[in-house]
Formats: sequence, C-alpha cells, structure tokens
Amino acid sequence: MIRRFLPDGMLLASAVIFPYSVARIFLDTPIERTMGTAFKIFFFHVPMGWLTMLMAVICGVAAAIELRRRSMTASAVALAAAELGFVCGLGVLLTGPIWGNATWGKPWTGDARQMSTALLWLVIAAYLLIRHYGPSGSKRLAAGLAIFGAVDVPIIYYAVKLWKTTHPTTEVVGSLPPALWAAFWPGLGAILLCTFGLMGLRIRQLVLAEQLDEAWVRVSDREATDGTDPT
Amino acid sequence: MVLLRQIRLLLLAELRQEVRSFEVVLTSAFFSVVMMALFALSLGALPVESQLMAVPGALWLSVAFVGSLTLTRVFDRERESDTLRALLVGPVNRMAIYFSKAAVALLVLLLATAVLVPGLIVIFPGAAPMAERPLFSAAMVLLGCVGYVAVGTLFAAGLAAGSGKNVLLSLILHPLTTPVLMFNLVATRALLEAHPGADAYLGRLAAVDVVLVVLGAWLFEPVLVGGGGGGAAAAAGRRARGGAGR
Amino acid sequence: MEPILPDLTPEPAPEPGSEAPAQAEVAKTEAPSEDAKSVPDEYAPVAGRSLKEVEQVRMLESVAAQKVARDYQHVIWAYGILWALFAGYGIFLWRRSARLRADMDALRRELDGPA
Repeated sequence: MIRRFLPDGMLLASAVIFPYSVARIFLDTPIERTMGTAFKIFFFHVPMGWLTMLMAVICGVAAAIELRRRSMTASAVALAAAELGFVCGLGVLLTGPIWGNATWGKPWTGDARQMSTALLWLVIAAYLLIRHYGPSGSKRLAAGLAIFGAVDVPIIYYAVKLWKTTHPTTEVVGSLPPALWAAFWPGLGAILLCTFGLMGLRIRQLVLAEQLDEAWVRVSDREATDGTDPT
Repeated sequence: MVLLRQIRLLLLAELRQEVRSFEVVLTSAFFSVVMMALFALSLGALPVESQLMAVPGALWLSVAFVGSLTLTRVFDRERESDTLRALLVGPVNRMAIYFSKAAVALLVLLLATAVLVPGLIVIFPGAAPMAERPLFSAAMVLLGCVGYVAVGTLFAAGLAAGSGKNVLLSLILHPLTTPVLMFNLVATRALLEAHPGADAYLGRLAAVDVVLVVLGAWLFEPVLVGGGGGGAAAAAGRRARGGAGR
Repeated sequence: MEPILPDLTPEPAPEPGSEAPAQAEVAKTEAPSEDAKSVPDEYAPVAGRSLKEVEQVRMLESVAAQKVARDYQHVIWAYGILWALFAGYGIFLWRRSARLRADMDALRRELDGPA
C-alpha cells in the first residue's frame, strides 16, 4: 500500500514543503551582504546541481546492473534517472548563468564546476538520444555510455581544476554560503522529494510499457499460431 | 599467452587489409592536411601570446575529428560485410577484438598526428617549444591518442554491431572523449608555456589512459554481446501493433 | 535683573556628517514667547540636512533600487525557469500515461474481441 503511493506521497510532500521553503528564503533570511537579493537563486541552484550529479551516478550504477543482470527494472531506473538528470542539469545550467549575470555581469566563467556540469549534461543528453532514437540493439551501448559518463566526470573536474591553478584568474568563484544554511535545507528537501517522486512515476511507466510490449508479442504470437493450426 | 597471440593475428589481418589499398591511412592523413590548412587560414594571424592558447586547441580538435573519421572507416568495413558478428561468434577472446581494433585505430591516428604536429610547428611560431622537446611532445601525443582510441573503439564497435547509423557515433564520441582531450589540452599548454609542472602531466595522462583502457576492455563484451532478449522483445512488440505509443 | 525671555540661543547642532556646516541652515522650533516661562524648554533644535547631502543620499538610494529591481528580475527568471522545467516534465509524464492507457485499452479490445 505504501509502495503503491510512495511517488505520489513524495510529490504531495514536496508541494507542501515548497511554499514553506520559498517563504523561509524570502521572508526570514536576511539579504546577503555582498551579493544582494540575487543570492536567493542559490538556494535552488545548488540542490539542482547536487541532484544532477546524483542522477548521473544512479544512472551509471543502474546501467552497470542492467549490463550485468539484464534486468528490466534496472534499465527503467537508468532511463528515468537520465531524464531527471537532464531536467536538473538544464536547470543548473540555466540558473547558474542567470545568477552569474546578476552578480558579476558575466554569465559564463568557465570554472571547473561549470564545465564539468555542462559536459556531464551533454553525456546524459547523448544517453537519452541513444535510448530513444537508437537502433534496436543499442540499449547495451547506451548502458556503456552511462558508465563511461559517470567515470568521466571526476576526470573532467580534475583537469579543469589543474588548468585553473596553472592560470589563475581574478574571479572569485562563489563557494557555499557561510551562515544562511537554515533556509537551505527546506529547499533541498522540496527539490529532492519532487525529483524522486517524478522518478518513481516514470519508472512505473517504463516498466508498464515493457510489460505491454511483451503482452503484445504474446497476443500476436497467439494469433499467428491460431491461423496456422495444422489439425 | 593466448590473448596476445590472438591480438597479434587479428592485428596482422587488419594491417594486411589496410596495406592493400591504404584507404584509411590516406584519407586520415589528407584530412589532417585539410585541417591544418583551415587552421592556418583562420588562426594563422594571431599574435604569439594567443597562439599559445590556440595551438593546443587546434591540435586536439584535429585529433578529435580525424579520430572520429578513422574509427568510422575502420568499422565500416565490418559493418558492410557483417564480419563483426562473425568474429563475435567465433572462438575469439572478445578483448582480443577490442585491442586489435584499438591498435589499428591508434596506428592510423599516430600517422595522422605525425603529419599534424610538424605542420602546426611550421604554421605557428608559438608552437616552437614542441620542436625543442620532441620526445616529450611525442609521448604526450601518444598518450592522448591512446586515451581517445580506448573510448572510441568501444562505442564504434557497439554501433557497428547493430544496424546503427553513422551520425550516432559523433553524438556519443565527442562528449565522452572530451575529458581525455581536455586533459591533453592542459598538458600541451603547460608544455608550450614551459610551465615547471609540465613533466608531471605525463604521469597523470598515463594514469587516465590506464583507467580508460581497462574500462573499455572490460565493457567491450557486455556492450557488444550482452543479451539480446530485452531489446528483441521490445522491438517485436512495437512491430506487432504498428508502433502505437510507447 | 532676571532675563525675561527664555534662552533662545541655538545649541550647537550635532554634526550631520562630513558636511561643512558653513551653509547649514538650522531650522528651529521656537516656543512662543508668552509660554516660555510656564513650559520648560524641551524642544531640541531639529538638525536639517544640506541640499547636497540629500541629493547624494537620493542618488545612492536610486542605485540600490535599480540593483534590487535588476536582482528581482533575475530571481524571477531563475525561479520561473525551474518551475517551467518541472512542469514541462510533469506534462511529459502525463502525456506518456495517456498513451499507455490508450495502448492498454487497445490490447484489452484485442484480447476480448475475437474471444
């Protein structure tokens, strides 16, 4: 019973927590000294960033399980995680430059985190394109892609970090805020619940679609054998 | 060791085929020359300080495009005559197929860079440090190409085994090989600027390459052979009801 | 003789800032002379501001207001994009569900029809 309504419950909880978190952010939290009101973007930008990474890792792990055990559920989990990683990644990559433009007047700084998130998002997009539009046998190929993508991210991050330390810039990259944490957690909770609720719904849809496919095959087989009954 | 012997046999077969027409080598080398001409036209007039940033980009972008072309051509032959499936059915260790294909692609890519790097040194005066330290540059280019080929061979083979379209290869290949290329970009730039930490980059590149080669070899069999069950049922089901919504 | 009028000499006004008090116009409230003796003098002179200082403060305020307005614009865009993304994905799920339901109905009809 709980499992049946878990995704819906998560979405409902997220719908309740979300207005509360927005109220906390805008009404209770003081305006940050150096960056001003635009800093409020951060409270949802950072959770989306964490979620993109989390979804990429889930996709990679599910893809490994799918290759190993040929499990349909694992394949569904990987696709759902990739779709949500795509949405969250798009959110990060759009809100980040907006915040950068508001704070420094510079949307793209090419710093390590930005670059690695953008490349991870491209890998997720490639995975989705292969799953949706690839030829019939390409599920395993897509799974390999997901695993490689998950491994590549630390490499990218390390490479860009090396680059930045050899050529120091004068930009001060905003790291996590000092004393505004209290308003951060409700926002994180809202986005987390919303994302996992949507993921649960999507996984259910995908598993159902696979089962429908198998049912159709059995129906067409039955019709085929009915017509050619030798007796 | 059986694996090494199989790799050697497959590699010799590939090379023998290549020597007959030199098709892949010539097309890749020619493509390198074309890219050099384009870079000379578009970036040749840059001041020397900017060239330090342009030359690594020119080099590794060319490697990316030539590599994509090479991998496509190496596996096109297999796709046309469906020999990859024959190889997979035969009693050949899967990793031998991976390593032999990767080695062929690597050789072609190295030949292309052997044309590319001297050309870049001639076109851009800022690339002179590469000429001053030829062994270091050669090692760096070699490690970069190994990393690129390690990732690319896996996915080119995967696409060739199915009835895949060529355009998908570029789609997958470039996002995945970007980390390797970025690492090499950073290393090349350190070399050109005579950065004191440049020597350490070789070790890092080698470590990244080891990780990628191991991962590629390990994933080769599951990705290519795996199990056809799930995919075939879904495809059959979709055909059965004329592709109504999924 | 005792003074008849209260002491109306202006007290030194508190410094308004770095402004030169040379042009300071001090506005004062003066108690009507008739009531001066009965009400103790509790009125402190109201220190006004110079025109220059007022203009400076207004300019700073307008700069701050512009920044706040620009920040709000960015905040609204960012939050709007996030909501639109999640709503878009929700709509995508909804449409997929509708299609699956139609597919299931077709299958059910297929199974029930000939039987």
